Amino acid sequence: MSMLDRKMLRDVLALRGQVLTIALLIGAGVAVLVMSVGTFLSLRGAQQTFYAQSHFAEVFAEVKRAPRTLLPQIAEIPGVAIVEGRVTGEARVDWPGAEVPVAGRIVSLPLAGGQPALNRLRLLVGRLPEPTRHEEAVIHAAFAEARRVRPGEEIAVILNGRRQSFRIVGIAHSPEFVFTSRPGSPLPDDRGYVLLFVNETAVARAFDMQGAFSELVLTLAPGASEPAVIAELDRLLQPWGGRGAHGRRDQPSHRFLEDELAEQRTLAVTVPLIFFGIAAFLLNVVLGRMVEAQREQVAALKALGYPSFPIAAHYAKFVAVVCGLGAALGVAAGAWMGEGMLGNYRPFFRFPEMPYLLPAWLPLLAAAASFAFALLGVLAALRRILRLPAAEGLRPPRPAALGAGALGSVGGRLSARAKIPLRGLLGRPIRTGLTMLGIALAVPMVVLGLFWWDALDSMVALQFDRIERGDAFVALTDPRPARAVREMARLPGVLAVEGQRIVPVRLRAAQRSHLLALSGLPEGATLRVPRDADLRPVQIPREGVALSRRLAERLGVREGDRVQVEVLEGARRSHDLPVVALVEDIIGLTALMEIGALNRLLREDDLISHVALRVDPLAAQALWQLLAERPRVAATSVKAVWLRVFDEVIARMVLTSAVILTGFGIIIAVGVVYNSARVALQERGWEMASLRVLGFTRQEVARLLLGELAVAVLIAVPLGLALAQGFVALILGARNNESFDIPATISPATFATAALVVLGAAAASAIVVRRRIDRLDLVAALKARE
Amino acid sequence: MDGAVPSAGDPPATGGAPPIFVARALCKSYGSGEAAVHALRDLDLDILQGEFVVLIGPSGSGKSTLLNILGGLDTPSSGRAAWRDHELAGADEAALTAYRREHVGFVFQSYNLIPSLTARENVELVAEIARDPMRAEEALALVGLSHRLGHFPGQLSGGEQQRVAVARAIVKRPDALLCDEPTGALDVETGKLVLSAISRANREVGATTVVITHNAAIAGMADRVLHMGGGRIVAIEANRRRLSPEELVW
Repeated sequence: MSMLDRKMLRDVLALRGQVLTIALLIGAGVAVLVMSVGTFLSLRGAQQTFYAQSHFAEVFAEVKRAPRTLLPQIAEIPGVAIVEGRVTGEARVDWPGAEVPVAGRIVSLPLAGGQPALNRLRLLVGRLPEPTRHEEAVIHAAFAEARRVRPGEEIAVILNGRRQSFRIVGIAHSPEFVFTSRPGSPLPDDRGYVLLFVNETAVARAFDMQGAFSELVLTLAPGASEPAVIAELDRLLQPWGGRGAHGRRDQPSHRFLEDELAEQRTLAVTVPLIFFGIAAFLLNVVLGRMVEAQREQVAALKALGYPSFPIAAHYAKFVAVVCGLGAALGVAAGAWMGEGMLGNYRPFFRFPEMPYLLPAWLPLLAAAASFAFALLGVLAALRRILRLPAAEGLRPPRPAALGAGALGSVGGRLSARAKIPLRGLLGRPIRTGLTMLGIALAVPMVVLGLFWWDALDSMVALQFDRIERGDAFVALTDPRPARAVREMARLPGVLAVEGQRIVPVRLRAAQRSHLLALSGLPEGATLRVPRDADLRPVQIPREGVALSRRLAERLGVREGDRVQVEVLEGARRSHDLPVVALVEDIIGLTALMEIGALNRLLREDDLISHVALRVDPLAAQALWQLLAERPRVAATSVKAVWLRVFDEVIARMVLTSAVILTGFGIIIAVGVVYNSARVALQERGWEMASLRVLGFTRQEVARLLLGELAVAVLIAVPLGLALAQGFVALILGARNNESFDIPATISPATFATAALVVLGAAAASAIVVRRRIDRLDLVAALKARE
Repeated sequence: MDGAVPSAGDPPATGGAPPIFVARALCKSYGSGEAAVHALRDLDLDILQGEFVVLIGPSGSGKSTLLNILGGLDTPSSGRAAWRDHELAGADEAALTAYRREHVGFVFQSYNLIPSLTARENVELVAEIARDPMRAEEALALVGLSHRLGHFPGQLSGGEQQRVAVARAIVKRPDALLCDEPTGALDVETGKLVLSAISRANREVGATTVVITHNAAIAGMADRVLHMGGGRIVAIEANRRRLSPEELVW
């Protein structure tokens, strides 16, 4: 081993505190990258594998009732590969002991038995129903897990008003229900929503669909045009009550999954890049400074005749050791956290397998990037030293600015003791700036972990206190005259009711289109209050349609523009309507009309399809039961349940990222403060020891050295709070998710916590350095510097 | 010593002032067992109020160890060391810090000034923590640097920096001025300027002064010269007349 290598290893040992904090910094950057990208790739991988294995359809269409004889004709459409018709229907589930009504969907399996050609089930346990056993069913894994359903158990459902019992013979995953939620709800409610797969005969009988189908799924031949197939399909299905075919993009499970993947991709890029950028920057600064502190050693090597290259190689090796240690820690931690993050997705996304995938290039890339950034910092510092004449390098550095007259006036009449930290900061403005920036950057890390709570709180407050003010929302089996509202109002426990008319539509503006539910609200509605950007209630003018801001953005329209509204129900007419208002929404995308105007558009009487209720909490339980038994009620969703699910599912995800990012914020703060203090001590230990000899107490000396850092920290923290606001806006701006809009709300408590975490980390680092100050070698100060 | 040389405890030739430093059977060793290094062995010493003492001797003779114990930077392994009524042996860290702060001024071989403070501010820094300091300007005038008050250490020559260090050491009117090789890094002429500053401080502030040096020529300035070797005082010279630094030849 060469002497320089031996020196390198001893340096690593001697500087172990600094080496460790820098390695942790690198580790944190690598970990975030490995975690986020790994999670994204794992979700994407699970999706692609499952879709391919289960032959997930590419085009979907719902129809009121079409004869099976239409299927061969559809198969003839150019570009169609495989087509399959089936019967599906909404069901109410009679689940004993359920706190709120359990809803469900029933999907038919082929008459001939066995797996369907498309959207095949992946059985976890049990088997498919026998072709002749109409009472057998496969149940989706989500509900089965949540309610601990096992094969052999019975489940009673109300199909089309008739009660029917099925025996569970298998538990399965399905590619079209990777994400399952009640229609319209952006969150899974595994305890309250069930999917059943049964023989077609059983469903067809219940819904009066013998020889017919109500849903169509198909795959496309290679090179086929999806829009062309959809247009032709719509044409063929229209006479039978087609509700508009759509591609995967508008399939609810797929859309949510894609949204989440897009979000994860944003987070997998934005957050790690921000974080990695911060870590790289700090690495550059901290290592550069460490080399700067060894300038006399470097100059001595040079004076002894060492060429520059071996000296540079020596420090490169040092960086490699530190980076290698950091990257190893980072990959291990990142993979572990990635597994945890993926685990958080399991309640959302039901894949048969969701292995954590970590491609080999990812940690290598992360490690190489850290090494490059670190090396840059070190080499820049090294070049500065090697450019000096050897004799100059051997002397301690004379801070360039310190001779300047300007600095002499700094501090004015302050005591000499107060001037030392002040001039230390101002004498090296660039270094001071970098230190402050480094500390400041720790703050956004903590804020990025914690602000989600604030954002979600304000999201829930806006959506459920200001917009959706009802306690429950009832879907009727089919549109009813408005007097149904009055009937509902007479039920015990109901305090207020409002009818709504909701119809499926396709909105088009220029080349863009979007499938969604258009809601007709009564004038002056109080249970659902549309609000503008300033949260003032909006009255929707009768002559047009109100869109949510995000929907308008997606369609590329503004207030006053016109959109084409294609109603996918009944006579299926298209209308050209002006956008008369823009409203806020948080969950999903909203299009609204005045209910009378909507019904006139549909050329129908005063009809309602949904009812919003305000309910006496004491009577709620009984009311849910009562509603469950009413034949015309298709489903009831209860706000309290939704909020509980929200808390359970979202809170856990948020907690994970909060803990991780807060941890990293601490690592950054400690890394910067500790290393700054250590380097300061390295550079000024002599001075400080001399002052101790002159009779300064430990505390006085520590105050001189740490005072400088304290000032830097006190300036950096407010700067960090401002940066945090910017980063939050940046990250939320990079999101593009139609399921949720997350407001960039950061509460004072979050700011205060972030500030305290960073101050605490700084204080802890200061205490460690303080202990070193206490151990300063006073006797050595009397001797000449070596 | 042991009879062959005069005991360091004997009153010096220069008058009847009471001893201010007293050391008896002072021992200092580092390490233990066979590896132990005995820096001081059974050393006895009295130093009088206002005396100018030069410690001279080869490397490893115990000069610095003795100075460190006298200055409250180190404690003896055994024996007694006292400054007036302050017992230095066995004193704790806080007591030693207070002792240095109130009574001792140090000058180092490598000036050790604070680079971000001017000459005046470096001196004020110590004045701020002293009980009855002189004005910084006054201390700097004593070392002949009245014209360099506003200069930073980086703008001063080595000799000037060392004189600032002397001013910094005497600004608190110390009872003892301890100098470890104060001219070690300086050339003859510059060294003389520093020595005259030390000598003036000794006379005008009345600080008992102990200077370590390798340079035998400096011995002429002292009241007494203690020759050290092997952790003991091996010889004591008393000068009949103290030479001024200008008269020194080396």
